Amino acid sequence: MTAIRSPWLRAVAALVFWAALCMVPLATDSYLQYVINLVLVYAIIGIGLNFLMGYAGQFAFAHAALMGIGAYTTAVLATRFGVSYWVCLPLSGIVAAVVGSVGTLPAMRMKRVYLALVTLAFAELIVWVLINWKQVTLGTDGVSIGAPELFGWRVKGDKNVYYVVLTCTAAMYWLARRILESRLGRAFVAIRENEIVAQCSGISIARTKFAVFAISAFYAGIGGSLYALTLGFIVPESFNLFQLVIHFSIVVLGGMMSLYGAVIGAVLLTTLPELLRDFQALQEMTYGAVLLAVIVFLPSGVAGVLKRYGLLPREVLARGWRALERNHTASAVLPDRAGGRR
Amino acid sequence: MTPALLAVKSLTVRFSGLVAVDNVSMSIPERQIQGLIGPNGAGKTTLFNAITGLVRQDSGQIRFDGVEITAMPPHRRAAAGMRRTFQAVQLIPQFTTLENVLIGLHAAPHTSELAAQRAVVEVLEFLGIGPTLLRPVAELSFAEQRLVEIARAIVARPQLLLLDEPAAGLSAREVATLDALLRRFVTDWGITILLVEHVLSLVLEVSDAVTVLDNGRLIAEGSPRQIANDKRVKAAYLGEEAHA
Repeated sequence: MTAIRSPWLRAVAALVFWAALCMVPLATDSYLQYVINLVLVYAIIGIGLNFLMGYAGQFAFAHAALMGIGAYTTAVLATRFGVSYWVCLPLSGIVAAVVGSVGTLPAMRMKRVYLALVTLAFAELIVWVLINWKQVTLGTDGVSIGAPELFGWRVKGDKNVYYVVLTCTAAMYWLARRILESRLGRAFVAIRENEIVAQCSGISIARTKFAVFAISAFYAGIGGSLYALTLGFIVPESFNLFQLVIHFSIVVLGGMMSLYGAVIGAVLLTTLPELLRDFQALQEMTYGAVLLAVIVFLPSGVAGVLKRYGLLPREVLARGWRALERNHTASAVLPDRAGGRR
Repeated sequence: MTPALLAVKSLTVRFSGLVAVDNVSMSIPERQIQGLIGPNGAGKTTLFNAITGLVRQDSGQIRFDGVEITAMPPHRRAAAGMRRTFQAVQLIPQFTTLENVLIGLHAAPHTSELAAQRAVVEVLEFLGIGPTLLRPVAELSFAEQRLVEIARAIVARPQLLLLDEPAAGLSAREVATLDALLRRFVTDWGITILLVEHVLSLVLEVSDAVTVLDNGRLIAEGSPRQIANDKRVKAAYLGEEAHA
């Protein structure tokens, strides 16, 4: 395993990693910076969908629509009501979380196919509302988002936006780790793997599902708000079925049940289409083909493969588990495993 | 006699015409190992499922620790101190032993993550499977998986532990170890156990009292010695063998 064992070395490595990330704009042009910003936005969205689909195993199709709700909450409030972007950003997450958890409440008791159908209809409804509620959303004309300001710093241009997006992605990534390495994160996996065991261990299925729908939608909403900031201009069509296909591909290709996977998926799914920009038709077919191939041949995605070869560390859902690993390498050498008892 | 921890009164469970549990009443005093035996299809597992809330009874009542729990959903019964294992080991295969056993502490809201992990390590040491802590359970031997499942059930120190055929698939030596462990759960931790088991020798050896079911009905109850000599019990078991 390549994971660095010493906590000091890990801290230094992390510091170098973050310092390097902070210096990225020094080496990019505006277009490359824009693509990198998109990668970070999609990392947040991918993490959100991974909670729901990867960890909790719920096949819901509302993620693109919830992202749209986040984007439009920010765009409409900031542009038309003059609300500060820094208020709009968390609000977008909260609005999406409320809509996502309450809106799919009737879907909670449904099994896979029905849940998929209901959430798909819900997603279509949201796009329809975004197109037709013209007084608020300006319909297919779209809404533009001005550059926000923070203590005199005007967040204008891709290089400035980068720092906002980077900070948010880092915070959301950290939050995701905290959630997953807690009893809640393990409960997500428990309700996916075995509802009977979950219940008999004191886990409320309904409450856990509600939590995962809300958290996942919150990530979609925050991602949507940052998406609006990154693009500067949004239209309802941005949040249709194709957007959802991108989200699914990020999670499946990157790796279900892995936070690294969500980030890797975001990198792949954002940069590849930009490279294939001249071959639009080819692009959509490639998505389909790659998605199918990955599901069949690499069910745990790119992250799964990298982990198998020791190129990515393990992800154990218990906070601070590495300390246990250090203490336990000592007792693991005890030869007496079959009898075991002393 | 100490007050009953679990009291089942006139419990009946039907599955579309088939009466799986037929008007069964039983009570288990605290700090006892109560054996539950009977031929295949006698209704043992259904009775387990009704007690833990996984199937709904058609009539009858269940009281646990003085509280009527007949209408309580399974996760609340578990949180109230009732845990179980399953006939076929039910673990989350991608999870390590640590993560699997931590699931058992979900309903202990005042336990910090660190304290929860310490509790897991302690239970695993007690069961003699400490070194499996960070291994995926799919890699463990069958006997180790059984113990991980038991660890998940007892890590929260429940009052009542329901074991559904814990000895199935274990070697004679492993069964003897299990026998000693069950005794220690009672004496060291004050846990009460309801034990369904096909291996009659284990039940008769370890139980304080034994209940016998046949065709969903309670046909005998008493000390292991009485049960071993009971004519109806012999008939029920011999009858099964004659059919087989």
